[in-house]
Amino acid sequence: MSKKLGYVGIFSLLAFSAHAQGIKANLDCRFTGTDFVYDCVVHLARGAAPVAGAEISIGADMPSMPMAHNLKPVKARPGKKPGDYEARLDLEMAGEWAVKLRLSGPVRDQLVLHYEFDDKGARPAVRRSGTPGRK
Amino acid sequence: MDEYSIGVLTNIGLFSFLALSAYLLLMAGEMSFGQQAFFGIGAYAGGMLTAIFGLSLPVAALAAMLSGALAAFLVGLPTLRLRGLYFAMATLAAAEMTRILFELLHFQRTLNGDLVGPDGTQGFRGIRWVFENGVEPLEYLAMIYALLLVALVLFLLVERSRLGATLRSVGADPELAASLGVDVNRVKLGVAATAGALAALGGVLYAHHNTYIEPRNFDIMLGVHSLAYALIGGLGTAFGPLLGVVLDIGALEGSQVFGGARMIVFGGLVAVLLIVRPRGLLDEKTVHWIRTRWR
Repeated sequence: MSKKLGYVGIFSLLAFSAHAQGIKANLDCRFTGTDFVYDCVVHLARGAAPVAGAEISIGADMPSMPMAHNLKPVKARPGKKPGDYEARLDLEMAGEWAVKLRLSGPVRDQLVLHYEFDDKGARPAVRRSGTPGRK
Repeated sequence: MDEYSIGVLTNIGLFSFLALSAYLLLMAGEMSFGQQAFFGIGAYAGGMLTAIFGLSLPVAALAAMLSGALAAFLVGLPTLRLRGLYFAMATLAAAEMTRILFELLHFQRTLNGDLVGPDGTQGFRGIRWVFENGVEPLEYLAMIYALLLVALVLFLLVERSRLGATLRSVGADPELAASLGVDVNRVKLGVAATAGALAALGGVLYAHHNTYIEPRNFDIMLGVHSLAYALIGGLGTAFGPLLGVVLDIGALEGSQVFGGARMIVFGGLVAVLLIVRPRGLLDEKTVHWIRTRWR
């Protein structure tokens, strides 16, 4: 019996975990005119189908200073279209932020999106490649 | 407990491993600016093992600790011949080399239609073991603090043992320790490997908390903070670096009222503290005073 339990224990330690739910998100942010404050819409989809009814909490930090610039998470409210969620982000400064979407409710996941914020709004951050010749 | 408080407490727990790692080396008289490299190695190794190879977090954490220990041992072999500032510079160089290696690391596999794994400067997404296995944020927090408690108890036991006395003697005067028969080089290599394993444990937990890591997470800033934790909190006891993490992250979060100027306020606070208490809040003198009062 104890041997059997041991095998079960070892198997559960080595077991493959369930695969990610394949949820994708992107962000549209509009600069409000007040320093570093943005009105954002999160578009959440699984494949081509929008994901409605999720609870989203949005936090953010700066990749090179993950513990120094940490935005207090804000709850997003459902937007005008299914799969859209709206929130106001009050950042500390312009520059690249890792926006963290913590999903709960019917879906449970965490997605991290990298966006460059400035007075024109936000756009996906472009990284230089570490490998020569690679974009 | 709200999400923000859980997040701050989780960060305090995670960076405490890094703080203890830097403190262990300080105990042995070495100031490393490179512990963030082993934190990163733990994060990448552990993340790859769960996300790509499907291992469970406990197994991945053990493997990550071994990777961190091995890497720290290999870095320690040539660098521990150096002393003081030279050792600090060598560890900083090794950490930057490691970070650049992370930038060059591309190892992605397609799993159910998604590319998973490190993609150089684009980072490493999808380290989802915690979410896929239904571990709640509060449970993960409890797990981090349970591991931290184990590490802290081990530290306190070592500090009160003969090994702890040997470490302090090596840190205070390596020549004198060697003349008393202590193999200083071996002790320091052992300390470096243990500190590497501890930092790697913090790293693997960090990666699974964040679900995403990238080379920039493990740059010099993190190394400076890891040293600052121990120097602010104090070098007299293992509680010192933990106090340092609480003060550091607490002051950073608490100074948000200062808006854009908060890093200036935070830097000023640290500078004042180090002028008033150069060996930190819980320095050897204070710890001795507390112990004599306690008895």
